[in-house]
Amino acid sequence: MNPAPFLDIRKASKDFGAGPVLDGVDLAVARGEFISLLGPSGCGKTTLLRIIAGLAAADGGSVTLDGQDISRLPPHRRDVGVVFQNYALFPHLTVAENIAFGLRAKGAPAAEITATVERFLTLIHMAAFADRSVRALSGGQQQRVAVARALATKPKLLLLDEPFSALDRKLRETMQIDLRRLLRELGTTAIFVTHDQDEALIMSDRIAVMNRGRIEQLDTPEAIYARPATPFALEFVGLSTRIAGTVTAYDPAGLVTVETSLGSLRSRGRFEVGSPVLLGVRPERIAFGAAGGENVVAPVLSDIVFQGARIQAHFASPDQRPVMIETSGALPAGLTAGSPVTISFAVEDTIAYPLAAA
Amino acid sequence: MMRWLPRDRMLWLAAPALLYLAFFYAMPLVYLLGRSVIGPNGPTLSLFAGFFADDYNWRVIGNTLRIALLVTLVSLIIGYPVALALARARGMAQVLLLTAIILPLSVGVVVKAFAWQIVLRRDGAIAKLLVATGIWDEPQRLLFTEPGLVIGAANVFLPFMILPIYSVVKLIDPRLSEAGATLGASPFYRFRKIILPLTMPGLISGMAFVFSMSVSMFVIPSLLMGDRFQTLATLTGRSFLLMRNEALGSATAVVLLVLAVSIVVGSTILSRRIGRTA
Repeated sequence: MNPAPFLDIRKASKDFGAGPVLDGVDLAVARGEFISLLGPSGCGKTTLLRIIAGLAAADGGSVTLDGQDISRLPPHRRDVGVVFQNYALFPHLTVAENIAFGLRAKGAPAAEITATVERFLTLIHMAAFADRSVRALSGGQQQRVAVARALATKPKLLLLDEPFSALDRKLRETMQIDLRRLLRELGTTAIFVTHDQDEALIMSDRIAVMNRGRIEQLDTPEAIYARPATPFALEFVGLSTRIAGTVTAYDPAGLVTVETSLGSLRSRGRFEVGSPVLLGVRPERIAFGAAGGENVVAPVLSDIVFQGARIQAHFASPDQRPVMIETSGALPAGLTAGSPVTISFAVEDTIAYPLAAA
Repeated sequence: MMRWLPRDRMLWLAAPALLYLAFFYAMPLVYLLGRSVIGPNGPTLSLFAGFFADDYNWRVIGNTLRIALLVTLVSLIIGYPVALALARARGMAQVLLLTAIILPLSVGVVVKAFAWQIVLRRDGAIAKLLVATGIWDEPQRLLFTEPGLVIGAANVFLPFMILPIYSVVKLIDPRLSEAGATLGASPFYRFRKIILPLTMPGLISGMAFVFSMSVSMFVIPSLLMGDRFQTLATLTGRSFLLMRNEALGSATAVVLLVLAVSIVVGSTILSRRIGRTA
């Protein structure tokens, strides 16, 4: 038997009146884990976060934290810290006073407050800013103060609502790594809401891919990238080449043959003959030439996109779905847009999903 | 040279208002001030010496300050929650609330004071309500009493308390209070340490508005209290209009002005300081 999870969300549901925003979500998080809720805006990830924090009431379901059912507790009794998207720092207080706020509210002794504030100011490299007004800080500094403020009360669980979205790209990358390291050092259990798949892949122990109020897949970043469980997960996490088709043959060994607009392709999967499927391949698993695997096609090259370390080749696709190769090596010589190019990929790298009949 | 000229050219936009105030407000005021310190034999403070030597005038000053403070306090206690609710309200509810607060401003003070005369009478609505709920054993007259005056004046000046506070509250990010909650702060602690300090500027201007209006109100005390009760403003009015004693009128007017200005300025500075250290 597994021990009971540290955070256990059961059948959380919420409806603001225009259809379910959360549709019976279950989520179990282990102590010390860093989980990302990844999904497009409107998928319910922020609502789920607010329900865990007690800032929104769920219509149904329960939230259990460290063995205690906190579903009916007001936010200030939950011991759940939040880093808000706009940081929500107290504008009338200094950096140190912001960090001390939670400890003061809980009536901690003055010596403990001073020591904790100093420790966190050092941890976020802002000791020199203790007495500054938070209004005078840059976005990155504000974010660090918001994290320190939330962690200073030693919450059982830290929730982060897109804390990097207001920062520029360069800064974001270093702050992601800094934050991850800080949380690991403190052993903090954290749930991180983001719509940025790169952020989720970099930071998470596990990712919950959310869509339309449901968790479509909950797994490690590697597993989600290699084996997306649903077409949505395939599409939302990382790039993919996607080709629709119809199953023409089923082999008891677990292989299907799919007739597509680019030709006949094979994939692992169990589908009845005649059922419509979507085939997905990661673009870096596709090779130029016929040596990449058993699935060989020759689509028309439409575009070459140079991205520094990587180069993408895009192909015209009869069914309007993206067909692309991503390579970190050199492109073969003599590629011209408008001409067919032979490319190939392995059956093992091809994933088939059931497709609702169009 | 010309150091006193404003560096920022935008400040010239204030010129029309300054000119207007100089001609129609500052000049008569200076005239009034002059009248109070210049006697038949040159400059003198004898008018003020005489004024302050009279116990009756001290009672008038006391009446003025007590009523103004009470009116400010009552408006604050009633107005602050309303301003918070108004900032939180959305859509139709907010429109209705705003209308309910602003519309009464279009009714003249005299009309409102007469209306309060009816409400405050021994057989008025308030007396009936208090008897019906058992708080009073028998109906009493609130008209021509200080509580009656405070109730009536607070009603008239309430919008000037609510609107400045509302304009500050609606700028406060609602997430600040949520952030306080997730940090373990109880609703009362959040109010004390987040909402109250952040609304302090609105509170100060609302209180300054209501205080300066109620320290100088003339019509309301005249109609709700009558002649036996004098404030600096009603005494000033009587001196000019009834007693034809322009010297006394000038003196009371100046005392009123100095009191009002120093209290408003002083409390503003004080509250700013409190707001900063809280």
